[in-house]
Amino acid sequence: MSSKTMSKDLYGDKRMGFFIYLFVEAIMFSTLFATYIIYTPPQMGLYPGELFKLHTVVLASVFLLSSSGTLMIAEKGLDRKNARMILTGLLITFTFGATFMYFEVDEFYKFISEGHTVAKNNFLASYFVLVGLHASHVLFGLGWMIVLLIQRKLLPFNLFAEKHRIFNYYWHFVDIIWVLIVIIVYTPYLF
Amino acid sequence: MKKLAMIPILLILSGCNLRVLDPKSQTASDQAFLIYLSFGIMMFVVLVVALLFITFTVKYRETEKNRHDIPKHEEGNRTLEIIWTVFPIILLIGLAVPTVMITYDVSYIGASSDDNALHVNVTGEQFRWTFEYENGEKTHKTLVLPKDREVIFHLTSKDVIHSFWVPKLAGKIDVLPGEETRLKVTPEETGTYQGKCAEYCGTLHADMRFETKVIKQAEFQTWLSKK
Amino acid sequence: MEINLFGKLILLPTDVIAAWVLMIITGPLVLYWLTKKRAWPVIWDYATSTHHRKIGTVYIIFSILFFFRAGVDALFIRLQLITPENQFWVFQGDKYNEIFTTHGTMMIFFVATPLLIGLMNVAVPLQIGANDLAFPYLNLVSVYLFVTGGMIFFAAFFFNAAPNAGWTAYAPLSTSTFTAGPNNNYYILGLQVSGLGTIFAAINMLVTILRLRAPGLKLTRMPLFPWASLITSFLILVAFPVLAIALLLLQFDRQFGSQFFMGELGHPVYWQHLFWIFGHPEVYILALPAFGIFSDIISAFSRKNVFGYTSMVAALALIGLLGLMVWAHHMFTVGLGPFANTFFAITTMMIAIPTGIKVFNWLFTMRKGVIRIQTPMLFALGFIPTFVMGGVTGVMLASAAADMQYHDTYFVVAHFHYVIIGSTVLGSFAGIYYWYPKITGKMLDDKLGKWHFWLFLIGFHLTFFPQHLAGLNGMPRRVYDYTWEDGVFVYNFISSIGAFMMGASMLIVLWNVYKTHRKKEENAGADPWDGRTLEWSVPSPSPEHPFEKMPVISRRDPLWWAKLEKKELPHTENHRASPVSVKTVQPMFLSVALTIMSFGFIYGWIWMQILGGAAALASFVIRAFNDERKPAYEREEMDNEQ
Repeated sequence: MSSKTMSKDLYGDKRMGFFIYLFVEAIMFSTLFATYIIYTPPQMGLYPGELFKLHTVVLASVFLLSSSGTLMIAEKGLDRKNARMILTGLLITFTFGATFMYFEVDEFYKFISEGHTVAKNNFLASYFVLVGLHASHVLFGLGWMIVLLIQRKLLPFNLFAEKHRIFNYYWHFVDIIWVLIVIIVYTPYLF
Repeated sequence: MKKLAMIPILLILSGCNLRVLDPKSQTASDQAFLIYLSFGIMMFVVLVVALLFITFTVKYRETEKNRHDIPKHEEGNRTLEIIWTVFPIILLIGLAVPTVMITYDVSYIGASSDDNALHVNVTGEQFRWTFEYENGEKTHKTLVLPKDREVIFHLTSKDVIHSFWVPKLAGKIDVLPGEETRLKVTPEETGTYQGKCAEYCGTLHADMRFETKVIKQAEFQTWLSKK
Repeated sequence: MEINLFGKLILLPTDVIAAWVLMIITGPLVLYWLTKKRAWPVIWDYATSTHHRKIGTVYIIFSILFFFRAGVDALFIRLQLITPENQFWVFQGDKYNEIFTTHGTMMIFFVATPLLIGLMNVAVPLQIGANDLAFPYLNLVSVYLFVTGGMIFFAAFFFNAAPNAGWTAYAPLSTSTFTAGPNNNYYILGLQVSGLGTIFAAINMLVTILRLRAPGLKLTRMPLFPWASLITSFLILVAFPVLAIALLLLQFDRQFGSQFFMGELGHPVYWQHLFWIFGHPEVYILALPAFGIFSDIISAFSRKNVFGYTSMVAALALIGLLGLMVWAHHMFTVGLGPFANTFFAITTMMIAIPTGIKVFNWLFTMRKGVIRIQTPMLFALGFIPTFVMGGVTGVMLASAAADMQYHDTYFVVAHFHYVIIGSTVLGSFAGIYYWYPKITGKMLDDKLGKWHFWLFLIGFHLTFFPQHLAGLNGMPRRVYDYTWEDGVFVYNFISSIGAFMMGASMLIVLWNVYKTHRKKEENAGADPWDGRTLEWSVPSPSPEHPFEKMPVISRRDPLWWAKLEKKELPHTENHRASPVSVKTVQPMFLSVALTIMSFGFIYGWIWMQILGGAAALASFVIRAFNDERKPAYEREEMDNEQ
């Protein structure tokens, strides 16, 4: 085995595989978007516009979208093999992601405690499945970042960089889905 | 014993009198025509393939003589490939055009052509049918229809999806909960025909049957008023 | 069976009891036999190895196991339908519904799909000169997900809770309002778990084919089986995620009170759209790899290259593409209106064109060749007329107005058995006989193989040909009973006889395998069939990383031309890094975790859902810190520093 190109080859394989996986995710989300569009607005129950709060959406978006930017710091750090930049980037991104999760959980909690549950109508059901699946992706990403923070010291740099870059693609993808959620789920009913 | 004696009779009957191919209405005849047409076209295809298949397998089998031959390398043949691309297209157009026409014909689209049409509300539920006539009369096991008068069925379900099917009168139409589907048909011969639920609907799906009696118009009027 | 015990009426499911008794008797016997044969080290090796051949073998063994199970279901179905107004054992009403649901679901998801994926695993890397699949570890995870999903579904029957809403699980029948109890939860979870495995397998296959080919092996020089695998993988990636979401929504309907598919608030037809957007490509997922296998076999056994290679590839791609836009032809009777119906009728008919091209190309591959009739070729020869018959009824069904008559009758049952058995099952048998030496180093007996073929094929036509007529005579599918007046007795009677012939033929397969492995025969050699493609250039059974010296490919059928010119294939040093193999028990752990979680969801036990879910997530973390590539990367780092 020629060791010169090994990590490059294997990373190439993995990146392609992961992109294909993201394609699979994209199809899952598009199916859920279609479901949401079909069932919204509902035949009975509250109109979505009466439920969504503009400031929650804006705040959540600001944090999640800028977290994609702060992750760039870590990415730069990978290119320059700068451990401090990687650490800073990851930590800021983690904080922003966690803040986003706070808004999400808060919103879900409010809806449910006011009686707007999955069982109420299909708009709410498709909303919870779609946005909930996205939120669980963010949550999974947060866990992934913790793992990366620990792996930083344990793995050979090339392997760590590879895992980190794959995570970056994941995080950007989750961000893109959020943009689509804002456009399709919230915007039509907020204004 | 009686049942055993019926076997040969059933054998003969079943051979030539398949319900779908024994239409008693214009709708069912149109559909039967399509079946015969597509069957004819397809039989032609099957024959061509069978002919080539048998010829090639018999002719080019390995024998003592050709055991060590190396067949000539052959990339393909443009002309042949064009033939077996274009020819099926022509055959399929021959099937597609009548398919489109007949599909439009047998589908219920908006207004009825006939003001005198009879409207019947059909309700499916696990596991029986309800047929409700315009005067509010209901039947379950038997659907009675007049001959030579357009009937428009309005179908809906109380629970799961069912499918309304009288093979000799028309193809199926699904019976959905929370939605109304429609089917139009004009019976052209008197008689008693089998009706079935054709969409799997639960435990006793097999027993969800009914009888369709087509009778003369005058008889139908008396039957309806007597009920 | 009903028992009157102290004045209480107790219903005993005798079929389930019989199954338990049978398992309790045979289970220990099998364990004893395995111990006596000292098979445990081998089993452990296969359970923990990431070698593509071994994983492929596991896929095939479990699919065949499920094939027998679902086959026995089919025999029970045929026994119940053998005469009108029959009362066979317990198989009326709900029990009958359970058994046809199990038969259908199992055959599609746990037999046909994994059987083909298993063959891809065995053959594709060898055919393209790759040392393994791109992600060996993920490959082991995939096979575990398939086995886990299959076993969850398999277990349902033993808890007297087999799914009973049909393999299509049409809502609202499949929602908890109409089928309460855990039954259909087994369906959801079983498919969800195994579906994930299928998606991973497809990703793996795509990357392998796109990135790991031998030097010089351009896509246009690839054999047709890898080509079919490539297109199939793409179809899986489009179809299976839709199924995953559909199942998720159905699960919400069943367990969390949403009403996506209920009558009043939701749309029952939406389930049908989602299901068939998955379901129709699935049909091509089953058919295309079989086409690939037959192309390779027909070419090898006619001693001739594939006729019209380019159009063969184009036809595969076209079938795949068209297969994505024909789903509503399963829904001609739901009242979508004549415009939608005719649109989907025409797209469906268009599929006949590329399929026809393939059939004629196969025929002309044989023309002017030297046709050697051994078992694999025999299956390929049986396939052509059988599949054409299924194909033409497909065109008949595409004719929308006529389909309103055929829809949901035995005509449809006959049609899809003709296409799926005709292509997938015959293709898999052909593939197994063909690659058996590459898997085990031994040849299956040719004479017994021929017996198997003829008994199976005749039994098959006896079973399914009469069903066309039964359907035309008004017999709906999924009924456990019919009357004498229905006039379908004769068809059903013949059908049942044929089914038992097919069953008997499968016993010959068992005997053949037993006989082959009983003898201490010498190795079959690298190239027992006088093959044309790369897999026949490596020893049998294929070793790990067989292409450390990479063959350099300059044209199609490289091995054949090398043999003709009496030259070795030219070799080069490996031009890229090989995937890293590893022995690991981690996927086994994941499988246990997912089983726990699935049973948690099936019976609604929240503590089990959390436990299983946490364990499954933990397996991600364990994996993150135990990457098999770590030593290799460390070595590379050290090398580069010097």
